[in-house]
Amino acid sequence: MDEIKWGLIWPLLVLQAVLAIIGLISLAKAERTRGPKWLWVIILIFGNLLGSVAYFTIGRKES
Amino acid sequence: MRKVWTLYHKEMLEALRSYKLIWVPVVFMILGIMQPLTTYYMPEILKASGNVPPGMLEGYEMPGAAVVMAQTLGQYGTIGMLILVLGVMNSLAGERSGGTIEMLMVKPVAPAAIVSAKWAAQLTTLIVALGLGVAGAAYYTEQLMGPLSWGRLCAGAGLYGLWLLCAVSLTLLFSAWLRGPAAAFLGLGSAAAMSLAHSLLPSQLGWTPAALTAQSAAIITEGRGGTWGPACSAGVLIVVCLAAASLLIRRNKLPD
Amino acid sequence: MPLLQVANLRKVYGEHTSVDGISFDIEAGKCVALLGPNGAGKTTTLRMLAGLLQPSSGLISFDGGSGVDYRSLLGYLPQSPAFYSWMSGQEYVVFAAKLCGISSSEAGRLAADALEHVGLKDVSRRKIAGYSGGMKQRLGLAQALVHRPRLLLLDEPVSALDPIGRREVMELLRGIREETTIIFSTHVLHDAEEICDDIILMNHGLIAEQGTLSRLRSQYSLPVIRLSTGMDEKALGWLQDLAHRSFVEQSVIYSGSATLNVSDMELARRTILQEAASLDISLLQFEAGSSTLEDLFMKVVGA
Repeated sequence: MDEIKWGLIWPLLVLQAVLAIIGLISLAKAERTRGPKWLWVIILIFGNLLGSVAYFTIGRKES
Repeated sequence: MRKVWTLYHKEMLEALRSYKLIWVPVVFMILGIMQPLTTYYMPEILKASGNVPPGMLEGYEMPGAAVVMAQTLGQYGTIGMLILVLGVMNSLAGERSGGTIEMLMVKPVAPAAIVSAKWAAQLTTLIVALGLGVAGAAYYTEQLMGPLSWGRLCAGAGLYGLWLLCAVSLTLLFSAWLRGPAAAFLGLGSAAAMSLAHSLLPSQLGWTPAALTAQSAAIITEGRGGTWGPACSAGVLIVVCLAAASLLIRRNKLPD
Repeated sequence: MPLLQVANLRKVYGEHTSVDGISFDIEAGKCVALLGPNGAGKTTTLRMLAGLLQPSSGLISFDGGSGVDYRSLLGYLPQSPAFYSWMSGQEYVVFAAKLCGISSSEAGRLAADALEHVGLKDVSRRKIAGYSGGMKQRLGLAQALVHRPRLLLLDEPVSALDPIGRREVMELLRGIREETTIIFSTHVLHDAEEICDDIILMNHGLIAEQGTLSRLRSQYSLPVIRLSTGMDEKALGWLQDLAHRSFVEQSVIYSGSATLNVSDMELARRTILQEAASLDISLLQFEAGSSTLEDLFMKVVGA
C-alpha cells in the first residue's frame, strides 16, 4: 500500500467542517433548542457526522 | 398548477432557511466518500487498531469498483433513509398540530396540491443529496479502485432513489394522520417490513419495491437489469400514498 | 338578495351537538357579531362557513349559490392564527395572495397595500417569529384581506389581545367594515356593540336572539325593578312572595336581591314601596329602570 493520499482525505475533513459550521450558525440563530445550547456546541464540534445529524434532526425546536 | 408551484416554492424556501437543503446533501456526500475511503484503507485501519491476528491481512482482497459503489448505496439505505424519513415526518404533522394548515385550507387550495408540493420538495432534496453523494462516491471509487460504468451507476442510483422515495412517501402519508415521531416510526417500520418480507420470500415478492435495492446492486455490479416489476409497484405505492394523504388531509382538516 | 344564507345548519360530534340547527341571513355590507359564551358553537359555526368543517346537515348559500366553492371570496382569521415563523410578514401575505390565484406581481402590490392598511409596513420584512400577539393578529387580518374578499370571517379577533392591541384591532375593523361584509365572533357584548349593525346571540348551539342592534335595544328595554333587602327571614320570604304578583313577568331572586321584569311599572313601584313600609322591611336598594342588552346577554348566558 502506498502512502496516504491526503488529496482525497482533506475534502472529507472540509465537508465535516462545513457541516459543523452550518450547525453552529443555525444554533446561534435558533431561539429554542432541545437541551442546553452549550451542550449542542460541544456535540457539533466534537460529535463528527453523527453529532451534526443529531443536532439537525432532533436538536431544534419549531417555535 | 400555479398554486402547487407557490406551495412548492414555500417548501423549498423553508428547506433552504432551515439549512436542510445544505446539510442533507453534505451528509450524503460524507457517507458516499467515506465508503470507498474506508474500504481502501481497511488494512491500515485494522493494523492501526492493533490486535489483528497475523495472516489475516494477507487474505484481504480489495473489492472491485462496482462492488464498492453498491456498498455505498447500501449506506443510503440505512443512515440515508433514516435522515430522509426524519426530515419528512413533520412536514404534514407539524402543520396540522401547529395550525398553519388551517390557514391553507381556507384558501382555495386542494389538499392534493398541498401534499404533492410537499412530496415534490422532498423529492428535490432526495435528488440533490443522492446525486451529489453518488457523484462524490463514484469519483473516489474511480481514484482508488478503478473505472466505473457511469451508465450502470446512474441506473442503479435511480432505482435506489426510487426505493428511498417509497419510504419518504409512506412517511408523508403517516404524517397526514399521526404525530411526527409516530409517522417516522411507521414509515421506517413499513420499509423494514417490506425488506424483510422480500428477503424471506425473494422469488414470490420479486415484484415489490423492496426488490429495488437488490436490483440496483445487480445493475451496478453485473449490468443485469431485471424486470420492471419493482419500479412499477414502487410507482403505484407512491401514487397511492399521495392520494391517501390528500384524502386524510381533506377529511380531518383540523384537530377538533 | 342576502350575501350569505344559512339554513338549519347542524354539526354533531358523536353524542355532542355543537351547533343545533341555526338559520340566519347576512346582507352584503353588514357587520354582524356572533355573540355568545364560550362553548356556544360560535367557532364551529364560523369553521363551517369557512369550509373547514363539513356540516352534519343544513345549507350554506353564498351569493345565491349553494354547494359552490366560495373560498376565493372569503377571508378567514382563526382564533389563534398560526404562521410560518421563518417567513417575513411580507412573504406570508404574498404567499396567501398567490394561493388565492393572484399573479406574482399583483400579489406583491396587494400585499404591500394590506400590510400598510394594518400598520405593519415598517416591520413587514422582519421574521414573524419576532412579532407580538397584536402584530400577529394584524398580520392575520392582512392575509385575510389581501385578496379583497367579499366576506370576512373573524373568530374572536380581539379576545387574546391586551387593551392596546385590542383597541388597534377594533379601530382597524371599524375601517374595514366600510369596505366589506364582516362576521366576527366574540364573547364580549361591548365589542359587538362597538362596531356592529346586527347581533346573533348564540348559546348551547342555538340562536337565542338575533336582529339589528337598535331593534334589540328597544325590544329589550323592558321596565325592570332591582331591589335588595336585609338578609332576615321576613325580608327573604317577602321577596319570594313578590315574584308571584300579577305584575311580575319574570324574576331572578338571589340572596336578598331581586331583579323583576314588570308589566306595569307604576303599579309595581307603588306596591313594593308600600308593602316594604307596612311590613317594616329594610330596603337596602331600590332601582326602577329599563333592562339593557347586558341583561339580555346575562339572561341567555347565565341561565
